[in-house]
Amino acid sequence: MSATDTGGRVSRFGSAVAEGWTRERFGLLGAVALVLIALAPPFQVYLFTDFLVVALFALGFNLLYGYTGLLSFGHGLFYAGGAYGIAIVLRDLGPVIADIVGAGISPLVTFVLGGVVGLVLVVLVAVPVGWLSVRLEEIYFALITLAFGMLGYSLIIQDPAGLTNGTDGVIVLLGTVDLGGFSLRIGGRRIYYAISAVTVVAATYGVWRVVNSPFGTVCKAIRESPDRAAALGIDVGHHRWMTFIVSAAVVGIAGVLRAGLASVASPGLTHWSTSAIAVIATVIGGATYFYGPIVGAFIFLYIRWAISRFPALEAYWELFFGALLIAVVLFFKQGAVGGLLLLRDRLFGDGDGDGGGGGGGGALNGGQASTAADDGAESGDDNARADRGDNS
Amino acid sequence: MSLTSLVPLIGIADVVIGLSLGSRLFLIAVGLSLIFGVLGVLNFAHGGFYMLGAYVTLAVVSNVVDNFWIAVVVGALAVGVVGAAIEFSAIRRLYNRVDSDLDQLIVTFGFVLVIHEAVRFIWGSGSYSIDPPDVFNFSVTLGGSTFNAYRLVVIGLAVGVLVALWLFITRTYFGSLVRGTSSDREMAAMLGVDVPRLYTGVFFLGSVLAGLGGALSAPLQATSPALGDQVIIDAFIVVVIGGLGSMSGAFVGAMLIGMMQSLGPQFISAGSIAIPFLAMVIVLLIRPEGLFGGIGE
Repeated sequence: MSATDTGGRVSRFGSAVAEGWTRERFGLLGAVALVLIALAPPFQVYLFTDFLVVALFALGFNLLYGYTGLLSFGHGLFYAGGAYGIAIVLRDLGPVIADIVGAGISPLVTFVLGGVVGLVLVVLVAVPVGWLSVRLEEIYFALITLAFGMLGYSLIIQDPAGLTNGTDGVIVLLGTVDLGGFSLRIGGRRIYYAISAVTVVAATYGVWRVVNSPFGTVCKAIRESPDRAAALGIDVGHHRWMTFIVSAAVVGIAGVLRAGLASVASPGLTHWSTSAIAVIATVIGGATYFYGPIVGAFIFLYIRWAISRFPALEAYWELFFGALLIAVVLFFKQGAVGGLLLLRDRLFGDGDGDGGGGGGGGALNGGQASTAADDGAESGDDNARADRGDNS
Repeated sequence: MSLTSLVPLIGIADVVIGLSLGSRLFLIAVGLSLIFGVLGVLNFAHGGFYMLGAYVTLAVVSNVVDNFWIAVVVGALAVGVVGAAIEFSAIRRLYNRVDSDLDQLIVTFGFVLVIHEAVRFIWGSGSYSIDPPDVFNFSVTLGGSTFNAYRLVVIGLAVGVLVALWLFITRTYFGSLVRGTSSDREMAAMLGVDVPRLYTGVFFLGSVLAGLGGALSAPLQATSPALGDQVIIDAFIVVVIGGLGSMSGAFVGAMLIGMMQSLGPQFISAGSIAIPFLAMVIVLLIRPEGLFGGIGE
């Protein structure tokens, strides 16, 4: 892969836009799809909501991994933070709020307030944890985030403050809004889907704006070369810290939604194996692209669902993801989004020998070529990352 | 609670249990530390290797030969072969990458999932347990408290492994190759060391140690597929506290954590399991190279 290859790919994406596939049309198509999904059978609505929540979790995680090169194995801490924030507010403040705003609307007010409390809680945790963690890099960063996550896990299950109800977790009852003849069960599959869809789309747009802001540009500069960024007068540590906090906040929003979807805030959310879900989804989808984690979350949940259709395989779905994770890192660092872009280039490209480096062969060929670029020199890596920046 | 009332709580049995827990942690952590020190790979799958060692030992004892020690050797070597195969087929492809550290961590995490599911596929989700070998399967009473004599054997073997490893690294030709390669890979390669083969050898040795830890611990704990996930975290704590790449650090760190697991709950009821993680955070922040010695020995 060469720099011109990436340039070509991006310009073709640009020309597709010029041919009428404007961002607005994509957006409209997406919105129509989101509405249509609400009409699907209940289980499918549930599955899609699950996908949206995991997608947001992975998206938040990837702000740190894909955009600043810091691999966190402790983002479950913030996922759980959001979940416990709303769960505790619902449990302890529900009656108080009902007294203030009236019983009819109080479930909705409690839900919104709980979400805000969850988010604030996550940020309050992320500020010191991030400040301490970003001092370390590479595997030491992975280890310290793992330690913070497991520290949170052990505090939640031992519950010294009497807030988290130990290993049982906190039950989340969302309640029903009742305004005269009009009643709305917040936890109802379709209602909750609508809430999740709006929240996730808004949060994703927010992340997209952050990534494409001057702040995001600074992040990318740090990712490419911390030393050069520092030489330009950028406070590298400070920006990593800020990215950590934003990343945690996004994951916290996903955690708030998770609590309502699962009807419980459980300690398992904090465990490193939950943090690993974000890693799996992101790597499989393609950490070098903005939409990579979203596509990865889609693959993760829908392949898992597909596997569950076969009782003989159901119990061993992790085996499949383990193997996929290994294969993606070894042979196809660009992940699924990279593969899709390559496929699109092959199907619709103008045949100037792009994508897999000289045409011929399938996606695998391209994968090996891009791996070789990763292996070879920094230029290959820069190339992949420049690609992400432009596609986002 | 005054200090005098605390003292009688610590029985000799608690100390022995703590040290035997520390011994099994040492065996897994020293392999992890060795692989990191030489190859620079933080092997997430190391807990899986430990679990695999316990399972193979159980399987050999109950199905093949009714001799615990043969089963231990088979278990440890089988894990070594699996480890070497993983290094040879996957990990060595990543040494020259730009983000090799993180890629290695993710790939070895992929193997965590694969090993976990493979074990569940072969042996199911239940937990197994066996008795210690008959010769050592008796109770010892010391200072009013009782423990199984096999625990002393495990402690003795861990000390033996520490000494043997130390002699191996400092006194043998292969050891000097390992030391040379870990401090300067390019120079070692230029002087004619077959670095890829040495790496596979070190990964084999590290995996054997993890397998040995699992095999020796099989009589002391319930062996289940969840075991790998638990011990890898403990091993990470140990190597961080002891210093990644430090063998004596792994020993001291392992004994410290073993004692903490055995005695901790008696001192602090709430939050005791949080203490090792807190210690890990503090050590990473203050001395990322570990409390005991630096990278190398």
